[in-house]
Amino acid sequence: MTHIAKPRIHHPGLARNRLGLTRRDYEGPMSTLCAGCGHDSITAAIIEAFWELEIAPHQVAKMSGIGCSGKTPTYFLKEAHGFNGVHGRMPAVTTGAHAANHELVCIGVSGDGDSLSIGLGQFAHAMRRNIDMLYIIENNGVYGLTKGQFSASADYGTKAKRGEVNREHPIDPVLLALNLGASFVARSFSGDKAQLVPIIKGGLRHQGFAMVDIISPCVTFNDHRGSTKSYEYTRDHYNELVQADFVPPAQEITASYEAGDVRTVTMHDGSRMRFRKVPEDYDPQDRDQVYAYIRDRQRAGEIATGLLYLEEVPPDGEGTHFHGIQGTVDEPLVNYPFEELCPGAEALEELQRRFR
Amino acid sequence: MALDTQVLVNGGPPATASRVNDLAFKIGTVNGTGSASANGLLRSAIFRMGIPVSGKNLFPSNIQGLPTWYEIRANRDGHTARTARFDLIVAMNPATYARDVEEVTTGGWVMHDSSWPLPRDLNRDDVHFLGVPLAKMTVDNFEGSRVRILMKNICYVGALAALLDIDMEIVRGLLKETFAAKAKLLDANFLAIDLGYDYAREHFDCPLPVHLAPMDGNEDSIVIDGNTAAALGCVYAGATVAAWYPITPSTSLVDAFTAFCNRFRKDPETGRNRFAIVQAEDELAAAGMVLGASWAGARSFTSTSGPGLSLMSEFIGLAYYAEIPAVFFDVQRVGPSTGMPTRTQQGDIQFAAYASHGDTKHIVLFPCDPRECFDFAVKVFDLADRFQTPVFVLTDLDIGMNDWAVPKLEWDDSYRPDRGKVLSAEDLEEASGAFRRYLDVDGDGIAARTLPGVHPDGAFLTRGSGHDRYGNYTEDSEPYADVLARIGRKIEGAAPHLPAPEVRLREGATIGLLTVGGCRGAVLEAVDELAEQGVDVDYMRVRAFPFHPDVEEFLMDHDVNFVVEQNRDGQLRKLLITETRVDKDRLASILYYGGYPMSCHHVIDGLAST
Amino acid sequence: MGGGGGRGGEPVAICRLKRVASDLRDDIRPFLPDIPEEKNGKRIACVGAGAASLTVANDLMPLGYEVTIFEKLAAPGGLMWTNIPEFRLPAKVLWEEIEYITDMGVDLRLNSPVDSLAALLEEDYDAVFIGSGAPKGKELNLPGRWDSEQVHIGIDWLESVRFGHVESCGDRVLVIGVGNTAMDCCRTAQRLGASDVKVMARKTKPHFKASPWELEDAIEEQVEILENHSPSKFIVEDGQVKGMVFDLVSWHEGEGGRLKAEVHDSKVIECDEVILAIGQDTAFPWIERDIGIDFNNWDMPIVDKTTFMTSRTGVFMGGDAAWGPENIIWAVEHGHQAAISIHAYCHGESLTDRPAEGMNLVSQKMGLHEWTYSNDYDEAERVKMRHVDLQERFKRLDIEVEEGFDIEQSLTEVERCLNCDAQTHFETDLCIECDACIDICPLDCLTITHNGPEEELTGRLTAPLLNPEEPLFISEDLPQTGRIMVKDEDLCIHCGLCAERCPTAAWDMRKSDLLIPYAGLDAGEVHPGMSIMDLAGAGAR
Repeated sequence: MTHIAKPRIHHPGLARNRLGLTRRDYEGPMSTLCAGCGHDSITAAIIEAFWELEIAPHQVAKMSGIGCSGKTPTYFLKEAHGFNGVHGRMPAVTTGAHAANHELVCIGVSGDGDSLSIGLGQFAHAMRRNIDMLYIIENNGVYGLTKGQFSASADYGTKAKRGEVNREHPIDPVLLALNLGASFVARSFSGDKAQLVPIIKGGLRHQGFAMVDIISPCVTFNDHRGSTKSYEYTRDHYNELVQADFVPPAQEITASYEAGDVRTVTMHDGSRMRFRKVPEDYDPQDRDQVYAYIRDRQRAGEIATGLLYLEEVPPDGEGTHFHGIQGTVDEPLVNYPFEELCPGAEALEELQRRFR
Repeated sequence: MALDTQVLVNGGPPATASRVNDLAFKIGTVNGTGSASANGLLRSAIFRMGIPVSGKNLFPSNIQGLPTWYEIRANRDGHTARTARFDLIVAMNPATYARDVEEVTTGGWVMHDSSWPLPRDLNRDDVHFLGVPLAKMTVDNFEGSRVRILMKNICYVGALAALLDIDMEIVRGLLKETFAAKAKLLDANFLAIDLGYDYAREHFDCPLPVHLAPMDGNEDSIVIDGNTAAALGCVYAGATVAAWYPITPSTSLVDAFTAFCNRFRKDPETGRNRFAIVQAEDELAAAGMVLGASWAGARSFTSTSGPGLSLMSEFIGLAYYAEIPAVFFDVQRVGPSTGMPTRTQQGDIQFAAYASHGDTKHIVLFPCDPRECFDFAVKVFDLADRFQTPVFVLTDLDIGMNDWAVPKLEWDDSYRPDRGKVLSAEDLEEASGAFRRYLDVDGDGIAARTLPGVHPDGAFLTRGSGHDRYGNYTEDSEPYADVLARIGRKIEGAAPHLPAPEVRLREGATIGLLTVGGCRGAVLEAVDELAEQGVDVDYMRVRAFPFHPDVEEFLMDHDVNFVVEQNRDGQLRKLLITETRVDKDRLASILYYGGYPMSCHHVIDGLAST
Repeated sequence: MGGGGGRGGEPVAICRLKRVASDLRDDIRPFLPDIPEEKNGKRIACVGAGAASLTVANDLMPLGYEVTIFEKLAAPGGLMWTNIPEFRLPAKVLWEEIEYITDMGVDLRLNSPVDSLAALLEEDYDAVFIGSGAPKGKELNLPGRWDSEQVHIGIDWLESVRFGHVESCGDRVLVIGVGNTAMDCCRTAQRLGASDVKVMARKTKPHFKASPWELEDAIEEQVEILENHSPSKFIVEDGQVKGMVFDLVSWHEGEGGRLKAEVHDSKVIECDEVILAIGQDTAFPWIERDIGIDFNNWDMPIVDKTTFMTSRTGVFMGGDAAWGPENIIWAVEHGHQAAISIHAYCHGESLTDRPAEGMNLVSQKMGLHEWTYSNDYDEAERVKMRHVDLQERFKRLDIEVEEGFDIEQSLTEVERCLNCDAQTHFETDLCIECDACIDICPLDCLTITHNGPEEELTGRLTAPLLNPEEPLFISEDLPQTGRIMVKDEDLCIHCGLCAERCPTAAWDMRKSDLLIPYAGLDAGEVHPGMSIMDLAGAGAR
């Protein structure tokens, strides 16, 4: 064969969700990324999460910018609209789409170049506005499509494939997100789906901006010895700081844990994130403490992962997310009939008295 | 600096013949002193007297302390374009005395604050100096510096009312309307206006030979600025999402949209908003938000000016190629670069027509006044939806921010938006999987689109990267070229559906006088003036790009066509050369790009010098 | 078909796909082996010109043998010619293929029945191969059998039709038996004008001997098949068949697992003609019992199942003649094996040391994204053969019913192949645990997990284990985390995507080829002038 096709056949025992869909129904066409690319594993985790959450694919808006990460929305949810826009500008497009129709489940997939260099401003402002979206950074520390230049997330001292050493300090999206008020902040690893899938589910259900930085090794340009974003380096320095489970609203928590070992945070729709094995001196709802803790772990050479920070749902229920701030009606704006938007001739006549 | 000063005495300039309802005057003040409301009061009063009037605000790119002028022209024939010939100057700003005095026409008047002497070197023998002790009167009558500053302005309104014979009842009525809820302020204003009025009546021969008299020229007119009118158009078109970044002179468009939405678009039960207005972090983001919202199905727009448009051109290219409706208001200002942000120009014509890299070409509408701003603000959404492409409304600072007396806005309640080819869930159900995003099914160059969240069969991936007619990614020559060629056909095909040019023909004319946008008033005034001089010219105003077939026809019908526009390079002329069959030798330019609105004399002088 | 996983359905229609290749063929003669001009001095006699003998000739001629075939009829082909109706196998096709063999220089003697093996053996052949088939149709000795001429033996009747001795038949025909011959008979009867053809079966459908597709074809032609009708007598009046009496039976498992019939009732079914198609026997009146060839209790010659030699050295036997009726494919295989034996025998080598079959295992990666095979496995049902319109096909006896696959059908059918020859191969040391293979596997048959006791481990698989019989593939400890790679072989469809998406080639697809030896050729060896390179050259010529 000279092209690759993924046969439609699936495991005969493949489960269906309440929509009658199998996990395979949430796939897209075959990835054209390099074999072994971490992004493909993230795609698989996204597929899993959407399937488990039983979200109808066509209710989803898949947003991306440019770069390897920008291509990935093609590879999941073929029955969802996608928007592969321009470099670093995915947050703006998502903001617009979300403003027009907040019932769309927005997932943005970005990369370290897309979010931390050319799109740093938009990334920051989307967090500031607390757009209701899951924002994934597929973070590999390099520019892939332009053949391996360091990106803004490349660690100080990391080595490029050609041997040069990076002498600029990285921008850490997790620290940045904590600083800018993101309400859901996580870091994970493409090679750890057990951790990744619940985080993605939580991020999708979170009302507001969910920032998930995912180390996603570039097998072609950044998986060599000396790289700090390789599979091997990531595994060697991995510290799963917080383990989080996603529990949908209707489901009872059955597993029992030692008291004090588990902490449950309820989200606006009744979904819960259940934190397990949290270190004693760590409070995933205390922004300052989380910031300090992660800085500390970084100094110790560790990559702290997990759902690191989750803001409490504001008690007024109004929410600090985009539509709450905007004061928009519950019905998506796109659903309003013209008749309810246009004031009409009489109102115009009345109004124009002011202009005389 | 010690000034060599003297009290100027009303000397013996040439006597001025009596002239009624044909005058222009100018008020020079310092920005940040609240003169805007006083000037507006004047303009409104004249309007209510039934005299065609315009008010042009020449203001600095500054918040407080720099010179600012307000020009009022009243003309019984409706010629209210800017004129450089001022019968009267109110010189309130010592920093600009010299140039203000210089601008008065021979035989005209300079009204100044005589609380202190004017510099001696400002004396001009050929004008009348009218000293009114404005500061002194306000200091004597009001407490507090802020109030005094404001009342000084009202004071000169009173003096002008006396000098120009403005109906004081109308002025008082306007003040009542403004301060209906603030009795204390109303009293102060009444006092101030009387102080000025009475002073002038006592000290000068009122009215001046050049003055105003009630007429009935404004029965079906309103006074409105273009940004407000455009914002109102957006509300009426059903726009629900606006994204913008503050930039002069477009800011007031979104401000007005916000105000109108708050008035018309609150959910009656919950008080929540049936609109979303996002102040973006920059124009890049604003454009992105517009695309996102339009893509999701909302009518969405942004409002900006040249520098913003430069930043937006990345997204403009995407909207063009991915065929996403998007509406851009460009309220032009003086460029290039930051240029003169508070001055007007028509410098973005060429840029808007072809904004972004690669082969792009855009539909552009050129309204000439606030009335057309309203009409085109509705039209532009229909066009964007119909042709699934970015569409621009190019106004300018003069149209957008200045007060124009224009015919009343009209609305037909039977209007329904043309959302173009958008497939519903039922359509998609019926198509049973046959939908392909960029497939031109009926040969008009326009493919059907779908909105997210509607139906699984409608799904496709919008992308700025190469795609084929089925919406799939491609890097292959033919499928790519196929799509690009179709988009080209689509945009060309739009021309007959765009507003036709405004044409006024005169018997036997062989010369064409062409213009665009806000130059209309100056050019029509020139046409009349030329006719009086025995020169007949035909007039055409281009209203849209790509050019309506009538445009080419007009050009071909005239031996020579003068293209009047406000930029250095003759951008409209260049477009006409590029986009019509007319020989460029038959197109001559009349240009003015100094930043003030175009005046009749620019046209006449330009014509004379060619 | 490899693997379980519920991938049911019929196997790939290899026969039909081969026909596509054949239908689209150009002149194939340049690709046939060269026949040495100089012979090896060994002379071989074959009795009967059917599939088995022709195969022997095909294998031996290129080696320099002189082969003589004795055929009693006027044409070669055996039952392929006499018994398979032309609407199934057109004569043109048959002749062309036979000619490829006979044109190798075979001494084909038609109209030459061998009446005495002893006499033939006198003729000093180096070896004799008996491929004389099973030409005797089984009898049904029930009352009335011999009272009418309208009761026929199926294969004889088919032969009479082939030779034009029979050109019509009665309106109502009963065919007794439900094997492939019965199918040929009933369908032939229809073409000769019968309007009511019934196939009478003693047992139920699962026990029918006819190939499923032949049954289907007959049913499509509106032949009625009646189950559980056991014939008990013929009704004949004045030499004219009027019908038959059948016992209506049901079947129960008796002692030793054999089915036993229980008669409930009886029933008369009227008819005008009866065709007996209940089996065939061999017939060897021409083999003298005293020439060293041993016969068993059922009067069948004893033939060695490995060497195909009878108890008399130098006399070999194959096809239906050896162990009773089978299909043509078997007959050909017998021919190949017998040819190997004859070749060994003629060279004084051991007949029991059979040449070994070969196997090779080769990576199928040809380049980036390039593999030697198509992986686009299609779960579709087997493609249905296109048939000539029912009305049209009955017009003549020689209208071939099957039209063959068109291109679309062929492409669909090809993709139903599970590519069981291409197997996954895992190199533990190369794995970087990027999960690419796990993510891409359409059947979820891969898992990377921590090692553990098998029972507990099977609970941690990506997808549930469906066939506990099939052992799991379990790798050594993976280099980065010490976890293991587990593969549920039962589910694999050999699509190769794990290898395709593997960045380090830890997964590879390797193809195993079964290489079969032929007379004078080791496994995988071809005749001179027939290697792939040679063939490409030949094509270019």
